[in-house]
Amino acid sequence: MIIGTMGAKTIGGVSNIGRFARFARQSMFASLRSCISPCTYPLIWTQMNIIGVRSVPVVMITGAFVGMTLAVQAYDQLAGMGLEEHLGVLINISVVKELGPVLAAVMLAGRIGGALTAELGTMNVTEQIDAIRSMGTDPIRYLAAPRVLACLLLTPILIIYADLMGIIGGYLVSVVQLGINSRAYWQFSATHVELWDVSIGVIKGIFFGVALSVISCYKGFTCKEGAHGVGQACTEAFVASFISILALDFALAVIFKSIYNTFWPLKSLV
Amino acid sequence: MNEGDKENEVQAVNGDGIIVLKNITKKFGANVVLDNVSLTVEKGKTTVVIGPSGCGKTVLIKHLILLLRPTFGEVYFKGRRIDNLRERHLNKIRTHYGFLFQGGALFDSLSVMENIIFPIRQHCEITDWEKVEDLVKAKLAMVGLDGYQNYYPAKLSGGQRKRVALARAIALNPEVILYDEPTTGLDPIRADIINELILKLQRELNVTSVVVTHDMTSAYKVADRIIMLHKGKIIADGDADYIRNHPHPTVQHFINGQVEDDDLAVIRMSINVSQAQFLPRDFEQ
Repeated sequence: MIIGTMGAKTIGGVSNIGRFARFARQSMFASLRSCISPCTYPLIWTQMNIIGVRSVPVVMITGAFVGMTLAVQAYDQLAGMGLEEHLGVLINISVVKELGPVLAAVMLAGRIGGALTAELGTMNVTEQIDAIRSMGTDPIRYLAAPRVLACLLLTPILIIYADLMGIIGGYLVSVVQLGINSRAYWQFSATHVELWDVSIGVIKGIFFGVALSVISCYKGFTCKEGAHGVGQACTEAFVASFISILALDFALAVIFKSIYNTFWPLKSLV
Repeated sequence: MNEGDKENEVQAVNGDGIIVLKNITKKFGANVVLDNVSLTVEKGKTTVVIGPSGCGKTVLIKHLILLLRPTFGEVYFKGRRIDNLRERHLNKIRTHYGFLFQGGALFDSLSVMENIIFPIRQHCEITDWEKVEDLVKAKLAMVGLDGYQNYYPAKLSGGQRKRVALARAIALNPEVILYDEPTTGLDPIRADIINELILKLQRELNVTSVVVTHDMTSAYKVADRIIMLHKGKIIADGDADYIRNHPHPTVQHFINGQVEDDDLAVIRMSINVSQAQFLPRDFEQ
């Protein structure tokens, strides 16, 4: 009995992973086709407006608070060692490499992911997705691809906004509130924060954007019937997006570190 | 497939059948919804599928356009087997169909006009927008809703939504129109408007129609042929008179709207049980 239940759950889990992988593959191919099909540009443009433009304020607020909090938390430790002028290095590297991208992506998973899943889930339970199929149109191409493309293109840009606000927030708290010398703050930051660090954060944004959009669209497309089904799909979409953002962050950190060590072996020793 | 095989395949199906289902079985997990169902939908006729809720009517109609794929069995459209086609090939075949969904399934975010233009936009290159607007006007006039172009679905009544959905379903001049419970949730007058529209479309466009319903008034009015589905199997198949006089008790109970004796016994028993269980505490004492 127990073995049977475990077996059924395992088979169900593997089937779900298979279905998701198939959906992700179809979404990616549909997105590529949409890139070369001008008739889909208006759909992508609409989604870019909904997903990107309207997310700018929340992402900027998130970034600003990340920078400000880092400054407050790290100051005492560095001041204890007489290194308070290096505070800018710590804040800015943390913001552009890790906290900015991750927290901005988590914020987007909550704001966009939930909305995407709820919208597509409602379309699914009211048979609108079936209606699209019945009219000979691929719903993945019409609904999922523009959303995936919009997230892929705009998440890195939103991360740049988050980084910018994180840097400004950290600077204001460090210099205005904690009294660190402004010139020293920027000088140390400019010496230690490289273009590579900023690029890592932005590249991570591409992966985070794809992950959260594909997961949210998949949950919407496979949502169960009723209000409970849509609510459950939204919750699952957020949880899955959150975990995948953290997992991707770890995997990308390992990969980028290996790349850095390969191309700049001496720098990594320093 | 060579030409000889193709010919054999075409001959294997009924000559008048525009859509043919052969030995279709559909399972959801362990639940068998359709059990070895075979059906030939005749060209230019209106076939009505009746049966109690949950008997598999909607699942059956979705197999005709392959919105659901059979677990076993084959589906043919104009003599060509289509259940083994990939989605992108099926999409071309689906342009020959119009589908009226139970709730209309209009796109909430689009106006009536944009809803009707949707299939045209997907499959035709629009160069002359005036022509498209005239076409939308003509389609809406057919369902008696000209002038509603700029309304959004949320502002329409249930009957109007179904009529707009019907206008959208005929936007590409389909050969087959599938109606899933077209009169459900409508008052008798609005339901009759839909029935008249089904007849009108068949008369004027000479389309093949398949209507899934449990509304017998509607079934008798629009049907050239009625099929009764019960527990995933076809138990009756014939014209309205044949169905009216069918000897099968389940058919008679269904068309006369009478509950069967077994079900009645269960209902009575459950009433007794519920009274025994839910007596207020004070009252029991």
